[in-house]
Amino acid sequence: MEKKIGAYLCSGCGIGDALDFKALEGVVSKEFKKPVKSHECLCGDAGLAVIKADMEAGEVTLPVIGACSPRVMTDRFMLPGMTPIRANLREQVIWSHPAGDEDTQMLAEDVMRMFMTQATKVNDPVPFTEGDFSTTILVLGGGYAGLTAAKQAVKAGHGVILVEKKAELGGNAANWANIVPSKPPYHDPQANPLPGLIDEVKATSAIRVITGATVAKTSGMPGKFQVELSDGSSHTVGAIVLATGFRPYDATKLAHLGYGASADIVTNVEMEAKLKAGKVVTKAGSSPKAVAFIQCAGSRDPNHLPYCSSVCCSVSLKQAIQLTKADPETMVYVIYEEMRTPGTTEEFYRAAQEAGVIFMKGKATKVENGSGITVTVADELLQQDVPLGPLDMVVLATGMVPNSTDPDQPAQEYGAELLNADINPYPAGDSYNPTPAVPPGGPLLNLQYRQGPHLPMLADGFSDSHYICFPYETRRTGIYACGPVRRPMDMGEVHEDAMGAVLKSIQVIRNAAQGHAVHPRVGDLSYPKINLNACTKCRRCTVECPFGAIDENEKDYPVVNPTRCRRCGTCMGACPVRTISFDNYSVEMLSSMVKAVNIPDEDEEKPRILVIACENDAYPALDMAGIAKHQYSPFIRVLPVRCLGSMSLLLISDALSSGYDGVVLMGCKPGDDYQCHFVKGSAMAKERLSKIADTLKSMQLEVERVTMVDASIADGARLPKVIDELVAKIDAVGPNPFKGF
Amino acid sequence: MNAISPTPKRAYDLNFARYVYENIDGGERLRMCMQCGACSGSCPIGQQMDHGPRKLFMMIRAGMKEAVLTSNTIWNCVSCYNCVVRCPRKVPITYILHDLAYLAVQEGYEPAKKADNARFAKAFWWSAAKYGRTDERLVTGIYYFSFGIGEGMKRGMANQKIAMNMIKTKRMHLGMPHAIKAKDELQKILAKATEIQARHGKGA
Repeated sequence: MEKKIGAYLCSGCGIGDALDFKALEGVVSKEFKKPVKSHECLCGDAGLAVIKADMEAGEVTLPVIGACSPRVMTDRFMLPGMTPIRANLREQVIWSHPAGDEDTQMLAEDVMRMFMTQATKVNDPVPFTEGDFSTTILVLGGGYAGLTAAKQAVKAGHGVILVEKKAELGGNAANWANIVPSKPPYHDPQANPLPGLIDEVKATSAIRVITGATVAKTSGMPGKFQVELSDGSSHTVGAIVLATGFRPYDATKLAHLGYGASADIVTNVEMEAKLKAGKVVTKAGSSPKAVAFIQCAGSRDPNHLPYCSSVCCSVSLKQAIQLTKADPETMVYVIYEEMRTPGTTEEFYRAAQEAGVIFMKGKATKVENGSGITVTVADELLQQDVPLGPLDMVVLATGMVPNSTDPDQPAQEYGAELLNADINPYPAGDSYNPTPAVPPGGPLLNLQYRQGPHLPMLADGFSDSHYICFPYETRRTGIYACGPVRRPMDMGEVHEDAMGAVLKSIQVIRNAAQGHAVHPRVGDLSYPKINLNACTKCRRCTVECPFGAIDENEKDYPVVNPTRCRRCGTCMGACPVRTISFDNYSVEMLSSMVKAVNIPDEDEEKPRILVIACENDAYPALDMAGIAKHQYSPFIRVLPVRCLGSMSLLLISDALSSGYDGVVLMGCKPGDDYQCHFVKGSAMAKERLSKIADTLKSMQLEVERVTMVDASIADGARLPKVIDELVAKIDAVGPNPFKGF
Repeated sequence: MNAISPTPKRAYDLNFARYVYENIDGGERLRMCMQCGACSGSCPIGQQMDHGPRKLFMMIRAGMKEAVLTSNTIWNCVSCYNCVVRCPRKVPITYILHDLAYLAVQEGYEPAKKADNARFAKAFWWSAAKYGRTDERLVTGIYYFSFGIGEGMKRGMANQKIAMNMIKTKRMHLGMPHAIKAKDELQKILAKATEIQARHGKGA
């Protein structure tokens, strides 16, 4: 079908009062020779009827709507056929610039030029839906997280393959009699729900339980994963839930806390086994009358685990309560630096106090084993050393090491350097700079991906995911982590986490089958297409993709796995020969939009600065600035991009050679606490930008003309000031000598 | 009761906290102390104490029995109840401090033998127990002379003028001390109380 563009301008919300509509219509009708209609309320039924009538008559197939921000009224402008192009005349023009002003009018006209140009460059995306898509979910790990995930997936109508390495289901939780309470009044240890859950899973026919097996190889993509197990069986699955849990920290490294010196100095895991077995006795066979728990044993310590495992405090509370309940004569001491009782665990802490457990704030500096054990506590509240003793038993509250690797498999070199480089977020010279640690072992899924068999991890070895914005996602689409492999958590949290990961799996299975992207570009039908005739096999796309979506074939050409793709366009920004593009998004499109802007002559003293803004945070922040009526320089022209990662350096040189005085990149914060919706996109942009100086020098331009700004969605009030400062700075450098060429 | 008698004269005794929880007036609420320091911050004479109540309670938990019972904190409390009113965990701090003072006397710690208010309390109790009433002349007399004959005379002379004025305004009478009618009944009550106390493990 032939693409027919028509523009619709809305004069509502004060747009009509602030702008010269005749001139604005003229831009469309005279410069672009396209039909244009104005209406006083486009989002109203009458306004929409105007657009719909033209579309039904076949006069327009792609409407360009010059009205409010594309982030609002999306449901109203959801029209059959191609997704309308939205030119933002409200939030980023009339709400952030004075009405009736010459510069505001120029801005509005340029906005129309940019988005009319975009309309001419986009095609209706053709989704990838080739072949069959599996709806089965593979759950790796048969502990509490995996069992819960399997049960919930079946409840939602999916078949499940549950793979457990050990011969029996249950994992770590199988060794616990009681758990930290997750139900009101949160006062008493709760019965472990695991045995019942195991029976339930075993009795469910839709769950195929495979024990004593590990994953030998995983290839494919969401909806079409091929998983080979160590037992030789092969399975096609739609998504994978990673529920491999944790291993306790190796207590043999805790000799400084007396571990190994006496059978009465045990870890919390060993104490749990004693509690499950029945009555706790010392090695001498008597009931312990004085027991001390040492919190943070090997945790929050740069020489051991640098992080807090969050559950050890509640576990010690539970064990302390159990000990005092079993024998009221037992005195229990908990030596802590900070008692961390997230959520309702605070109630449990109170219950322990009521039970008479004594809490001592300080650090255990020495553990001596003589006649009875003596723990020297550097007590913070007393400001002195307290020799606590004689004690009958000491419990070391050790932390969790994520099973983000399989400790029984050999480590694999391939791709590991990328893994390590990726997970070192701490800047050199940072006061907190522990050595990033990959837990010893080999890859869990042995991914047959170009970027290697590993799942990228955070510095502490936990599976990389954004704690707040997209918690279950790993950096391999279709593989969702839940439970302690993702972050330390207790069983109540694991229960919720497993359900979250299952929902994500279902989401990816359904979206993949329809050719839709998953978070954050949910529903996007486009995917990168590579013109191999122009490809130079430089491999930048295969290496830079944050999600490892692009593999290489035997001739070293890139091969896109569309359902692995998140549509950020980082590959497009990486490609030095502009040969990667989406049906509706390309370097050429962006470049044409940049060039569509009218650049006034040098003597008019109206500089033009291109703002390349991330659609996810920076662009909405600019909208928020408009909503709050914060005013900023009318000399900027905002080009929204899917992610700064899709920004090619060629775009900057295009902008500068067509006369812009400067370029500002606005994207999410990169690094360990990244806010980038595509994890590495803004980091990639930053890296590319570090090489811009050479380009600028070769063009004989000043380095100050190009700047990168971190912007978060909450920066609505800050960005106008940042823009004004940058405009002043670039203005001070002087006009771009390329103007008028 | 599973009271364990604390071993006297030891710097640290792990069982001391349990002893306090189970045997000291209000001690069972001490379990709930969360070391916020509202008590020490509210105390009008905290500056005159070796340790504020918060720190004293942490010392109890750490088993520092001797340090607690030789601290002047337990003697300097003026019973204003500011701390009790403000304690977010409803710990009856004043009661605890008073009972700890009693314990210090019972166990014969040196500062308890010398403490002014211990001497005064003893004089007060002697009069109250003997007559069922307190006689100002006897209470102050016994209190003053507990410091020795010379010191007693000195203190008595220093307060002579006040005593004369009190007599003039009939705030202090001359003659035999007043007593209640049924003194023997009072003795029976006190004997019974002592018996109950002994049964609760505090000794007499």
